[in-house]
Amino acid sequence: MKKTIRLFLAIAVVVSGCGKSPSPSSPSDGGSAGAGKKLTIALMPKSKGNAYFISCKQGADEAAKALGVELLFDGPTDPDPAKQNEIIENWITLGVDAIAAACENKEGISTALRKAKQKGIKVLTYDSDAAPDAREFFVNQATPEGIGNTLMDEAGRLTGGEGEFAVITASLTAANMNEWRKHIEARLASKYPKMKLMATKPCDDLKDKAQSEATALLSAYPNLKLIMAICSPAVPGAAEAVKQAGKTGTVKVIGLGLPNENKKYVKEGVTQSVILWKTVDLGYLTVHATAALARGELKSGATTYAAGRLGKMEIKGDSILLGSPFVFNRENIDQFDF
Amino acid sequence: MKANSELESLRNWKGILLRHETVLLMVLVLEWFYFNSVGRRFGTLDNTYDIVRHSVEIGLLALVMTPIILTGGIDLSVGSLLGLCAILFGKLWRDAGMPPWAAGICTLGIGAAAGGLNALLITWLRLPPLIVTLGTYSLFRGLAEAITHGVDTFTNFPASFLFLGQERWLGIPAQASVFLIVAVAVWLLVHRTTFGRSFRAIGYSSEGARYAGMPVERRMALVYVLAGLVASVAAIIYTARLGQAKADAGTGYELFAITAVVLGGTSIFGGAGSVHGTLLGVAAIAVLNNGLVHARQPREAAGMLTGALLLLALSASAAPKLLPALRAWRHSCATKSEPAKVT
Repeated sequence: MKKTIRLFLAIAVVVSGCGKSPSPSSPSDGGSAGAGKKLTIALMPKSKGNAYFISCKQGADEAAKALGVELLFDGPTDPDPAKQNEIIENWITLGVDAIAAACENKEGISTALRKAKQKGIKVLTYDSDAAPDAREFFVNQATPEGIGNTLMDEAGRLTGGEGEFAVITASLTAANMNEWRKHIEARLASKYPKMKLMATKPCDDLKDKAQSEATALLSAYPNLKLIMAICSPAVPGAAEAVKQAGKTGTVKVIGLGLPNENKKYVKEGVTQSVILWKTVDLGYLTVHATAALARGELKSGATTYAAGRLGKMEIKGDSILLGSPFVFNRENIDQFDF
Repeated sequence: MKANSELESLRNWKGILLRHETVLLMVLVLEWFYFNSVGRRFGTLDNTYDIVRHSVEIGLLALVMTPIILTGGIDLSVGSLLGLCAILFGKLWRDAGMPPWAAGICTLGIGAAAGGLNALLITWLRLPPLIVTLGTYSLFRGLAEAITHGVDTFTNFPASFLFLGQERWLGIPAQASVFLIVAVAVWLLVHRTTFGRSFRAIGYSSEGARYAGMPVERRMALVYVLAGLVASVAAIIYTARLGQAKADAGTGYELFAITAVVLGGTSIFGGAGSVHGTLLGVAAIAVLNNGLVHARQPREAAGMLTGALLLLALSASAAPKLLPALRAWRHSCATKSEPAKVT
């Protein structure tokens, strides 16, 4: 019994001793960086092992090196939704100058980001936004209009602007995809009058379902010239269906997805183009803008912003726009690994 | 017999030094000094409070996991129950229009009832705790996802409620006071009451305990209901800390809690262990997780190092028991190899 009391005393001494003694020295190295000090920028992915964010980091490192800032890159490695908050709180204590985060849980992470803002840390979001009052800018990788127009233009280019095509989406209720479809249909009506959208089928974000839907589309519409898949599992799913039906080349496949998932089909000529943004540029722009924000070079209300090698970027409200999406095809897909 | 040997080791300073808790305390102190030397803000009060706030929920689950493992049982459902309680709390507050305190009280009742379901299946139907709680692990998480369709998120809680998870009260993080109360209560229950002794007795041999006249079923039911109740407390604190309740709250927390308990020296077979050991286990993992950020080391190292820490701490405290055997083995090797040397 004495032993346990002694143990508790020992813990109490250690905790209180360590907790208090170093704190008086902390204000001296606190606060945001002065002109002479190296800026520290913390960059958070949604999850750390994700190839998408690893390629974002590539661009982030490039920008950090060019601008002479220190970059911390950390994010959750397990599915615990509280982890992003914990890392942000650690960064606040660590005294970083600015934080750029891709948010997994919009509301949850906003709590921690607001706290960072209160402490004078500059906060920016990228890829997926937080609550608007929790950050100063959002680096928007693609607007619904940009995605819709690029997809439809690519379809028009590949079919020569005429013929039947079909769309495979994740679900008929997904808000972001409905927004894209709206822009696809608007572009179709205004620019491609000779093209005809025959059907829009949901695949529940499953590759297998996308494949069977695509197979059904191929037999229902024998004159189909192109399948457009607007959720990422549907692109390889549709490609597999076209390949198995022996219609490689006659029915073209395009879609929104990751280059690595589609590389095989692109090289075989089943899939003609995969559309996404350049993740390396997204990382570059995010770090570049975060550094500019921390240095006071980027202020709210600005309408353009010069982002190093990317040139002049448009700012709409509090969104910094990365520009139109990028088309990955047979010629360039090997240069990308995500 | 066990009590006797414990008394003996108490008189013996070597025994104290080699106790698992002491080894773990030394590991914790080493961690502290190492991270304090590499991270310039690690030792600040702010950071100490970060560590505390980030480990309260898992700490609470580990506290109530200790008596369960002492009885030779396990509860895999606490993390899922945390998620279920969090969204039910959100639903009671937002959709039923209850003030947070009333929703909180109802949530505690729900937590205890869910723990009661585990208790009922384990003691009444005599099903193994591993199987029962594996079932409720899926059931509770599934319910949480079904109720919210996996997307409904409860947020915009009033500041008076968020205080519990984000502000300081009497100079310490508000949730730390709840943790202290639960820690003292569980410590007293396990180490200062006949209940605590009966948990160990059940862990050694539930049949033996039954023949000795102990109400084994009732005692076992108690620990599972307690776990459910405290999981709901953790759910409320979690919601206040994040300002959000979603169906994925507390994913994987059951394993973190079990890791802390085992690291704290509680035998997974039951019968032996301590609550202060668990507290040290929680602290060792929490300090490691936080310190790595301050040492600017990658986060993925945390999982690896936690595993290494667990294995090292367990080996370190098992080593003294192996010494006599090792000596005997070396002795036998020496006698066998001698003739070989001569020739």
